[in-house]
Amino acid sequence: MKFIVCIKQVPDVNAPLQIKDGQLIQDADRNILNAYDASAVEEALVLQEAHGGEVDVVLIGPEKGKEAIRKALAMGADSGTHILTGGNENYDSYSYAKILAAFLKDKQYDYVLCGKQSQDTDAGLTGSMLAELLGLPFTTNAVGLSKDGEQLLVKRQGDAGQEMILLPSPGLATCSNDMNDPRIPSLKGIMQSKRKPVDTIPITELDADVGPDDSKTKVTGYEEKPKREPGKKYEGEPEEIAKQVAQLLDTAENVI
Amino acid sequence: MSTILTYISITDGKIKRSSLEVLTRCNELAEQHGMESSAIIISDNVTGAADQLKKYGPSVIYTIEDPIFKNHLNTPLLRALSIAMEKISPEVLAFASTESSKDILGALAANRKAASLADVSEFELTGNGVKAKRPVMASKIISSVEATGSPVILTVRSGSYDLVEKPADSKVEEIPFSFSDSDLNITLKEIISATGDKVDLSEAETVVAAGRGVKDEEGRKLIDELATVLNAGIGASRALTEAGDYDPSLQIGQTGKVVSPQLYIGIGISGAIQHVAGITNSKVIVAINKDPDAPIFEIADYGLVGDLYKVLPLFIEELKKVKRET
Ligand SMILES: Cc1cc2nc3c(=O)[nH]c(=O)nc-3n(C[C@H](O)[C@H](O)[C@H](O)COP(=O)(O)OP(=O)(O)OC[C@H]3O[C@@H](n4cnc5c(N)ncnc54)[C@H](O)[C@@H]3O)c2cc1C
Ligand SMILES: Nc1ncnc2c1ncn2[C@@H]1O[C@H](COP(=O)(O)O)[C@@H](O)[C@H]1O
Repeated sequence: MKFIVCIKQVPDVNAPLQIKDGQLIQDADRNILNAYDASAVEEALVLQEAHGGEVDVVLIGPEKGKEAIRKALAMGADSGTHILTGGNENYDSYSYAKILAAFLKDKQYDYVLCGKQSQDTDAGLTGSMLAELLGLPFTTNAVGLSKDGEQLLVKRQGDAGQEMILLPSPGLATCSNDMNDPRIPSLKGIMQSKRKPVDTIPITELDADVGPDDSKTKVTGYEEKPKREPGKKYEGEPEEIAKQVAQLLDTAENVI
Repeated sequence: MSTILTYISITDGKIKRSSLEVLTRCNELAEQHGMESSAIIISDNVTGAADQLKKYGPSVIYTIEDPIFKNHLNTPLLRALSIAMEKISPEVLAFASTESSKDILGALAANRKAASLADVSEFELTGNGVKAKRPVMASKIISSVEATGSPVILTVRSGSYDLVEKPADSKVEEIPFSFSDSDLNITLKEIISATGDKVDLSEAETVVAAGRGVKDEEGRKLIDELATVLNAGIGASRALTEAGDYDPSLQIGQTGKVVSPQLYIGIGISGAIQHVAGITNSKVIVAINKDPDAPIFEIADYGLVGDLYKVLPLFIEELKKVKRET
């Protein structure tokens, strides 16, 4: 099976953040491969190891995004495409989906994999938008992938239970990080990745019909989430603190 | 008159509380802006739900009924929603944020060429679209966003609005729909149901959540016992859903579910931001952890520092006493 995995570079949510004049200031040196995409790459590699095939990745982003492509190649992906942007465009999920659709429309593949969401924005839109634009059958929130004949059997985490869904090829699935623990690239993998092909396509060369400013959604500002009132720590004898808190939950909070 | 449309999800014939929260908000907005607030139910059996819904004030209750909707499948749901939007032309279509609505949100938006916003915690109308707040960066930051055009399709986090009853003389209107199995492009082979989750976590009034500190059968028994005493839903951190100790549908947090209970009790959970992202809508947060520096204590209203295997049995006994007395 041939997989094309759409990967994104995102700011590390654990890095220190600052808000200045409503703008979010992040340390670009702490950008990482989106965790959900790392899981998608991992799962494709596991299937490739078992059944053969190919795993390619594609990323839309500025020059720095190359790092995320290198990471995927070091994990074991075969090749990468970098759709190069300037870095200051205001793209939303719909714009990214349109750009990916323009890139993928004349490509050969069995399955497109996306992350279920971007780790920084939690939007979760691009995957199913892309499926709709390409006219592909799709499923979201996959927590497991396996091969069933020539098709992909997707275990999807639904609201209550898990659904086993047979997804014909070509098709698209979005992946949860509950699927696996992505491998850490080995030194050998890192060395090999340097020789793997990365094709760079300036975004202006793609016929994507997406201007830098015509997104239908816009972020207009950021603020810190209001802190909860600091609570109280109870550190005494277990008997004592258990009793105190149990009673307060009843009398002071009325939640028992 | 222009319409704001709320999608009502039902499970086992019962309307989800989170859908009614969204409808309440849409009722409010419709009143402010001289619009009509309507609702749509898409199900294999709409009868009971349509009646229940009249208590919550939609002007029109649109229904689409077909056996294909017995289980969630994105293809027929997308078709039904496209037909409904064609017919109703709403300015806004709002869903409660669930795995089912997240499954189709992007595709529906692309299909309708509509702007979409996922998982908002507040929203209002601007005249040419919607203005909203969304938690980002694992819920550390709130972003203000604007979506322009009509319609705007959005999903709303559970617990963002309080539900208000508003009995109305709603008109029920069925939208014709047909779907044959050959229209399906994916096949649902099997559903593996979650084990043991009797209370719907995202709607539970009380949530007991287990983390890596809960190491064994004895620990899990204590969790069960606490949940029984409090009639609580059980959830877990990723550490334990990943280990297979708890069903993946019980994961709370960024990857898992957002909960909004009156009382959340986290046991043996460190409080990683990705877990905390799912619990900050809780009214009261209690944590039991043996590490006094665990980050969960920074957000807990009541932090019990101690070994859960010692504290929890005593806490359960005390809660039983409190319950007997009230
Ligand atoms: C993209 C992404 C998404 C994620 N999504 C989620 C999500 O949705 N939900 C989620 O939960 N996590 C999520 N995570 C993982 C998260 O970062 C943490 O790894 C996870 O929450 C840790 O679980 P834990 O608190 O149970 O375990 P740990 O962090 O290992 O904490 C265990 C705690 O138990 C305490 N303890 C140990 N023994 C005892 C005892 N006997 N008595 C009392 N206390 C004890 C310890 O002091 C410690 O604080 C996500 C991570 C990423 C990268
Ligand atoms: N710039 C991008 N380049 C490649 N893939 C992307 C990009 N943006 C989003 N995606 C894909 O869409 C998923 C996230 O969608 P969303 O949450 O809507 O941002 C990611 O996990 C990727 O698979």
